[in-house]
Amino acid sequence: MKAHSTKLRSIARWLAGTACLAALAMPLTAIDAAAAANCIKGERKAPYTIGWANIYSVPTWMKQTEGTITAQVEALKKEGRVKDLMVTDAQGNAQTQIQQIQSMIDANVDAIIVIAGSSSALDRVVSDACDKGIAVINFDSLVNTDKVTSKINTDSNEWGSKAAQWMVDQLGGKGKIIIMNGPAGVSVSDDRRKGAQPVLDANKGLEVITETNTEYNVAPAQEAMTSLLFANPEIDGVLSLGGALSAGALLAFDRQGRDPVPTTGENARQFLELWKEKGIKGWATMQPNWLGALSVYAAVQALDGKPVPARVKVPLPVIDDASIDSYLARADKFPADGYIYSDYDQALFDKLLTE
Amino acid sequence: MSVARGSLYRTVQRTRNRGLTGLYLLVAALLVAYVSLFPGVLSLAGFSRFTQNWFPLALVTMAQALLMLNGGISLSIGPLVSLGAVIAATTMSGPLGVPGGIVLVAVTGLGVGAVFGTIVALFRLPAIIVTLAGSFIVGGVALLVLPKPGGMVPAWFSDALAGQYPTAFLLLLLVIVGWKVFMATPTGLGLYAAGDNPLGAFRSGVRVERVRIVAFALSGLLTVLAGLFVAAQTGSGDPVIGAPMTLNSIAGAVLGGVGFLGGRGTMRGALAGSLLLAAMINVMFFLGFPPVAQYVAQGLIIVAAVAVPELLSRRQRA
Repeated sequence: MKAHSTKLRSIARWLAGTACLAALAMPLTAIDAAAAANCIKGERKAPYTIGWANIYSVPTWMKQTEGTITAQVEALKKEGRVKDLMVTDAQGNAQTQIQQIQSMIDANVDAIIVIAGSSSALDRVVSDACDKGIAVINFDSLVNTDKVTSKINTDSNEWGSKAAQWMVDQLGGKGKIIIMNGPAGVSVSDDRRKGAQPVLDANKGLEVITETNTEYNVAPAQEAMTSLLFANPEIDGVLSLGGALSAGALLAFDRQGRDPVPTTGENARQFLELWKEKGIKGWATMQPNWLGALSVYAAVQALDGKPVPARVKVPLPVIDDASIDSYLARADKFPADGYIYSDYDQALFDKLLTE
Repeated sequence: MSVARGSLYRTVQRTRNRGLTGLYLLVAALLVAYVSLFPGVLSLAGFSRFTQNWFPLALVTMAQALLMLNGGISLSIGPLVSLGAVIAATTMSGPLGVPGGIVLVAVTGLGVGAVFGTIVALFRLPAIIVTLAGSFIVGGVALLVLPKPGGMVPAWFSDALAGQYPTAFLLLLLVIVGWKVFMATPTGLGLYAAGDNPLGAFRSGVRVERVRIVAFALSGLLTVLAGLFVAAQTGSGDPVIGAPMTLNSIAGAVLGGVGFLGGRGTMRGALAGSLLLAAMINVMFFLGFPPVAQYVAQGLIIVAAVAVPELLSRRQRA
């Protein structure tokens, strides 16, 4: 009983003290809040533990992305800024990813880097992390909630509209095209398709024969395109909205003995090599793998108390007939089924984070 | 088998538990490991969070086990979870409100399940084919209801179901009690009997077709409720969130000793199987395994869970 009341009194004293302190510190914290990034409370000290909550580690794009993350972590370890990297793989299951992020919160990591397995499902667990002062950096597949330190991505709408615009220019605004999409119900694939629509609406001469929805893999895309080639003797262009899809399309044309047509796509090495080999007119952009490294860098910057914008829009690097050779020259540094991404360094990161 | 001491009930239950000792030990070991790695799970909030992550898997595993005990199987568990989630996320913040949303989700689950059951029972088509076809239809409908992740579940409902309190665990206990009650009814008993030996059951007066339809309907109900919970847990709907659950529900049931041919296995085994799958993820995280090692460890644990009881029973027989 006595112990209890002493405890109460000490709490009361502590409260009074904090209230005074808070009143004193008010103008200061106001300034701090303006400078510090979202979710950051300034209680966490270097070296930091970073959690990397991957949705699925098997695809080559993911492996390459994880490569840039571990490279960045190694560099920051040498500077004494990072202590440890914890990696999870939800094996494509958003429900598992929620569980793993919860475990990261339980383990009290300092930062969580996440590619969301679902744009809506992670909202609650991610905001919980944010409430605990954990720096949450979300890249590639984004969550809906804004309770994260930063969302880093390229613009999927722009991806679609730029690709469609190139196709319009290439065909002179007239012709029959096939659109190849990623899986239905996935934000990235929906957004790219949506971005293409206004351009298609404005150019009625471009007739969309049909569309496909497949996983972002070569084999299903090739299969889908093969059956479309049987059905459609006249195809003037392939508006593919994902790298591996384009390679599948070109392979299908090749196997059927049909002459390839102008094709859009991503920086998949296989596509770029086919593009050069078949001598097609091509256009490609990319989701740079170094978004992973940038996210780690941003997390540490935020934890250090430096400002990190709530949204970082990374400009889409473009590969066209003029610049493709510079990419293919570096091809041997990348896996055969991988993505040849543009170069990056700390200066680029600093520039992206200040914009 | 030893001569029955005590009641017949105990003896029967002991026989039914026999193959599962290994699994129970494995689950207990995992839970002990989890608690020692992360003592916070013993706090109310920690316990709530953990059981919330287990709950949907527990429900779909029960839904799958219920069908497998009856000699069926469902390949549309995943899409049906998604459908439950998107219906919840699109109706609950609308004019129907939370109660209306719950009713609509439940009716959908019962209805879809009953349709599958009717086709399987009356047209004598294999459940695996009917539910495979059904999975495309249900998955498509889920995408029509909500083409991309979105929708909303009221925050108070999310907090009530998946907040700081172990509501999910209490709901699970309720479902288990419901199962026990169902097992005490003629239809419940018929479910096992028809799964074990349909002809024999029919000759003993079990209305085999009706039991099958009821099994599918109840399984559908449990599945959409898992979807409803996922919607509450995530505060929103996602038309493809259930996809991995088809395989996980089968894995949980099989780990729990439920056979593919019907009549073999127990619901408690299936629940233990699902708990094993859920706890494994957390334990491996806290052990700090890299993802590649996690794949390997997962496989080893699953093989152990299936092989150990088998080896033990073989030794007992010898």
